[in-house]
Amino acid sequence: MADFEPRIVGFLCNWCTYAGADLAGTSRMQYPPNMRPIRVMCSSSVDSVYILRALLEGADGVFIGGCHPGDCHYVSGNYKARRRMVLFNSIMRSVGLDQDRVWLRWISAAEGRKFANTVTEMTTAIQEKGPSEFRDKWDV
Amino acid sequence: MKGLLKTRDKNPEATLRELFAGWLKDGKLSAILVPAMSGSGAATMALISDPDKIQDTAPLMPAMAVNAASVIHDIAKLPAEGVKVGLLLRPCEMRAVVELVKLRQVLLDNLVLIGIDCPGTYKSAGFRDRVEPSDGTCEDAEQGVKGSRVQGLQDSNPRTSSLSDFDNNHVRNQQEQYDNPDLRTACQLCEYAKPMVFDVAIGFLGLNPDEELWVESANDKGAALLEGLEVAEGDEPDKRVKYLEELAAKRKANAAVSIEELNKEMMGPDNLVRYFADCLNCHNCMNVCPVCYCRECFFDSDSFMRSLGEHVMISKRKGMTRMPSETLLFHLTRMNHMMMSCVGCGICEDSCPVSIGLTPLFKKVSRDAQAEFDYVSGRSLDEELPLTTFREDEFKTIGEE
Ligand code: SF4
Ligand code: SF4
Ligand code: FES
Repeated sequence: MADFEPRIVGFLCNWCTYAGADLAGTSRMQYPPNMRPIRVMCSSSVDSVYILRALLEGADGVFIGGCHPGDCHYVSGNYKARRRMVLFNSIMRSVGLDQDRVWLRWISAAEGRKFANTVTEMTTAIQEKGPSEFRDKWDV
Repeated sequence: MKGLLKTRDKNPEATLRELFAGWLKDGKLSAILVPAMSGSGAATMALISDPDKIQDTAPLMPAMAVNAASVIHDIAKLPAEGVKVGLLLRPCEMRAVVELVKLRQVLLDNLVLIGIDCPGTYKSAGFRDRVEPSDGTCEDAEQGVKGSRVQGLQDSNPRTSSLSDFDNNHVRNQQEQYDNPDLRTACQLCEYAKPMVFDVAIGFLGLNPDEELWVESANDKGAALLEGLEVAEGDEPDKRVKYLEELAAKRKANAAVSIEELNKEMMGPDNLVRYFADCLNCHNCMNVCPVCYCRECFFDSDSFMRSLGEHVMISKRKGMTRMPSETLLFHLTRMNHMMMSCVGCGICEDSCPVSIGLTPLFKKVSRDAQAEFDYVSGRSLDEELPLTTFREDEFKTIGEE
């Protein structure tokens, strides 16, 4: 699968991970270009419907970046996002879908390096998995 | 207060009617929501306020058209003045009401929750023919003991009288309900045969309902209803506890078998798409779901209105898209939104025009999901809804490598 370029949809919290991505960029850190970032106001605003829509439309991975626990700008959004992720993972397992195509990570505005490393890691992990099973399924 | 109440004239259903009529007459209740068969033979529910009409109700009728919680959601969302309404609810209906209360969709102030045992129900469609087969005989009624009518509550309507026999026999022949293959699928998989939350509970399982009924109040509201009744106070009889345990074990075993079957045909991308392949995207399953409470579903909102141009753009991604589109997205999202409160009533499956096996599917998915948070939908009014709260010190591995 060496020539497979994963398509990863990234939902990045405006107050932390998005700024972290910015820092990675302005510091000229190298990381794979496979993630299409979407800026959101908080990790908690990423409803399951957006993750699922990306997956069913054929994204090979979905990334959600939020502030570290305790640092959410809306106080508890990321704690709630964390619970919803537990639920999301449970449902994915119950129906036999691959929960490891969806990553939630806490990355602060100061962690440009962590952002670059995480994107690299995720791209490699998805490359190893291969393309999404939904890539060519038009009848979902 | 808890204990045994004597059944009048070997007729449990008439005993309950008489009890309810008394509550209406005494002004303890302004009205009560009870199962009833309409004049046209539909198995439905009635909000009854006139005690003289009580003979037209069928408190033990084992047929379910909708989950009563859906009705209550429609009528008890706003505050009311000066009325007190009793709700006779099966365990799955009670559990859905509990979820709706916690979701702030139902106000309990004017309601009295009257829980009743349920050994299983039939689909409402076709129920009339079960009660009155077209050849004029009523098999079930003949197998069992025919109860005489209570004086003063006599019933001249022949339909109501054969219905009464059917209802009474259903609660008499309890051993048959263990694996009655004609019950709704959800009921065959349901382990909750007695209410967990209630103001007043009424029970007959594990007892001889021709002789005695179990009554119990959980608080002052409930005690007020039981006041003045001749109740032989005591703990739940052993035979009742034992019957309920056996029934739960049997139903859990049924559920395990059905989930095993489900796993063979539903798991994984290919199977999952096939499982929902016939879905028409009609959203009936959502509309009838008692805990799917939004007035406008996100899927019916403007967020899902797309221009023709957008559709073409999406089609270009894979070269073609199925129309209607995003049916699987609807179901997977609905699972994420609702599984914490799903009570396994199976009304969704009953309403599906293409018979998708939603009952075992949601049974499995909701049970797994609720287990993550040690939650059981409808088990308690005090337990917090898992998705509306959090602990700082939990699920530490989520969000970290
Ligand atoms: S999803 Fe189906 S089984 Fe669950 S509560 Fe709703 S209607 Fe009942
Ligand atoms: S009721 Fe059946 S056909 Fe209609 S949306 Fe639900 S699963 Fe699909
Ligand atoms: S503001 Fe960043 S996760 Fe809530």
